Amino acid sequence: MASRAASTSNAQSWFLHRITGTFLIFMLITHFWVQHYDQQTATISHDVLSTEQIENDVLPGYTPEAEAAVEARFGETAEVTPYDVVMLRLADPVYAVLWKAFNILFLIVALHHGFYGLNNVMSDYIRNPMARKTAKVLSWSLALVLLVVGMYSVLVAGW
Amino acid sequence: MTLNVEIKRYNPEKDDAPHWESYEVPADPLDSALALLLHVKWHIDGTLSLRKSCAHGVCGSDAMQINGENKLACSVLVQDLVDNDGATVKFAPLPAAPVIKDLVIDQSRFFEKYREVKPWLINDNPAPEKERKQSPAEHEIIEEATKCIMCGACTHACPSTWASPDYLGPAAMLKAYRYTFDTRDDGEGERLDTVDSENGLWKCYTIFNCNEACPKDIDITRWLSALKRRSAVTA
Repeated sequence: MASRAASTSNAQSWFLHRITGTFLIFMLITHFWVQHYDQQTATISHDVLSTEQIENDVLPGYTPEAEAAVEARFGETAEVTPYDVVMLRLADPVYAVLWKAFNILFLIVALHHGFYGLNNVMSDYIRNPMARKTAKVLSWSLALVLLVVGMYSVLVAGW
Repeated sequence: MTLNVEIKRYNPEKDDAPHWESYEVPADPLDSALALLLHVKWHIDGTLSLRKSCAHGVCGSDAMQINGENKLACSVLVQDLVDNDGATVKFAPLPAAPVIKDLVIDQSRFFEKYREVKPWLINDNPAPEKERKQSPAEHEIIEEATKCIMCGACTHACPSTWASPDYLGPAAMLKAYRYTFDTRDDGEGERLDTVDSENGLWKCYTIFNCNEACPKDIDITRWLSALKRRSAVTA
């Protein structure tokens, strides 16, 4: 097999798109299970805050109005992962590192996958080379901004 | 049986835009679709233009859109298109190509793309006395791809071609596969540089329209995926 000049190649991006796609399947399932369905199994530590602190609402929960709205829409048995549970998970000195690492990887994977796909669509529909380049720069800049904002949110949450 | 044959007609010297015309054509279920067109041309309206040559699925001249799908008119039977008397069969030129007249498209762009992938043997070593040999196992890798007759049904069925006229398209890239994976060929580097580009392999989103359209049942998407992998490991 001959090796080629990599500078013009798009192969790595395509390959990464496949890899991130595979990762996303497992990460999305994990994310939904942990974040939206099985709050108790996913609650890593109850030791971060005392029971009193939790009872005294040190961390904000949902407002009564929000809970009422969820009940009205999904029925009285509907459960919402409390904000406190998520924050507790991210406040744990040990397991939070794991979850923060997971969330940051999830963020990078999702942003790369989504924005590579978006750029494919844009290159299909935008004919003008200059406009195409502009759209590419703008979209990847937006991805960078979202990456910074997302990483900041994940890192400071709970710590 | 008698069929209602609708043909998308366009004469650039007379018409502002293409339009549909209908013809009543007597047919046998075992007639080819091409026979319907030839009946129109020979017995009803001699001004109809279409390409055909061998009429046996070898030359690839009469690829066109039949009842909404890209097919070779000579290789599809009436009984596979309609099953009742008076049914309609619609013929249109291959989509996403400039129409010269009626069912005849301008293929120059298609063959430009074909030439871009250097569809010939590249090997600077002096030729042996008799021939450059290849084992049956080595040939097996490219056997299916060698069956392509360059009819263009696949490339003009591909949504990436519809979106980007400069996209190389499945037919040209299948040729790139056919030569890149030919063990007698040394042109992999230069050929991959062509297909590993903005208008090349990465615009193939594995939609499988090419496979559906191919009259030779070539698993084009599979071979393009092999070419992608080769591009990825050599990039």
